[in-house]
Amino acid sequence: MFNPGGGCPGARMQVFGQQSETGQEEQGKRVSQLRQWPVQFHLVSPQAPYFQGADLLLSADCVAYALADFHKDYLKGRGLAIACPKLDHNQELYVEKLVQLVDDAKINTLTVMIMQVPCCSGLLALAKKALSQAQRQVPVKAIVVSLQGEILSEEWV
Amino acid sequence: MEKYLNQGIKPLIEQFPVLGDILNKYDIGCTDCTGGSCLLKDVVAIHNVSPQIEADLMYEIEKAIYPERDVVKRVVTEQDLQEKKELKYSPPVKQLVDEHSLILRWLDLVEDVLAYIQVDSEQAWQWIAAGADFSRNYADKLHHSKEEDILFTYVDQSLEIIQVMYEDHDHGRSHIKQVYKAVENQDVELAEKHLLAYRALLREHIKKENEILFPWMDRNLTDTQVGQLFAQFAAVNAELQVDEKYRQFVLEVEDKLKKQVS
Ligand SMILES: [Fe+2]
Ligand SMILES: [Fe+2]
Repeated sequence: MFNPGGGCPGARMQVFGQQSETGQEEQGKRVSQLRQWPVQFHLVSPQAPYFQGADLLLSADCVAYALADFHKDYLKGRGLAIACPKLDHNQELYVEKLVQLVDDAKINTLTVMIMQVPCCSGLLALAKKALSQAQRQVPVKAIVVSLQGEILSEEWV
Repeated sequence: MEKYLNQGIKPLIEQFPVLGDILNKYDIGCTDCTGGSCLLKDVVAIHNVSPQIEADLMYEIEKAIYPERDVVKRVVTEQDLQEKKELKYSPPVKQLVDEHSLILRWLDLVEDVLAYIQVDSEQAWQWIAAGADFSRNYADKLHHSKEEDILFTYVDQSLEIIQVMYEDHDHGRSHIKQVYKAVENQDVELAEKHLLAYRALLREHIKKENEILFPWMDRNLTDTQVGQLFAQFAAVNAELQVDEKYRQFVLEVEDKLKKQVS
């Protein structure tokens, strides 16, 4: 059997059927809710003005592709950093940056969005590690998104 | 129906007296309430009833207002049930709920502490004095002021339920004043009267907050507001720094009384 992802459920190939709940094409254009650049976690600086006192969204790379309303419902009003807990190198730097974001940039809240695949929970673990090292505490919310773009859970941790 | 949802509950009950009976049947005692400025929609939302009860209640209310109408009862979905299943608080609200737990632990000890006057009066009066200090500086100064000065400012403070919370806090304060007086004069009867009344008042008050007010507020707070609340609470905690001291106090009395019993 062809299985390009090997044994990893996070990389197993799947094909979803066409999805259009209403059966109609969507009309109109939406504006982007992104208010910063860059977004990749290795590239962003905790000193950036858009992180100061912000509600920070730390999103796994794949989330924005799966979740149709990512901009409208989650990115809007938030500072963004994206990362892949499975493939990115040097994730200790992510922990350090998060500590700086909590302690120095004094972010207001941290929302961690991940995919339902098991390895993606590494991003939440990373956030918890950073919080345990930070001097300040902030509310952390975890949101899990299914491969087909539904919100599976959304709760404060 | 929309127009009735936005009307005050008191005038509505006057207009449709059967509404009072329906609300009483569902244990929502608006008829005894002294104020009655809550809107019908708030009454239903605030009481945090199960989705099925909410559907039944709304059906009965609509039927009472429009007897001639063919009212359709809302179907409760699996998702409604899932969402309501467990009470999960946001971190700042959870902090208040945890403070309630410590306050309740002290209230659970009150009766035994009073009885202890017969065993070791000096020790018992010392605990009663320390308990009054706990009530004043932890339950009131730390906890109630987080509610009054911070949390309640996030909602319309003229709401009936918020007014009732303020009144409860005030009654609690006057009971504790009397407990201080009792300590000063070693007046057992006065201590007993006001400590037991304080216990009954706060147990009921905490139940209302944990089960009705806080879940309702949490449902309406944005994530940004949750973060702001958390930071404001952290500032109060850092300023007062009383948590550890009073945790120790409750633990100590629990420990000593337990040893006494065993
Ligand atoms: Fe209260
Ligand atoms: Fe309270």
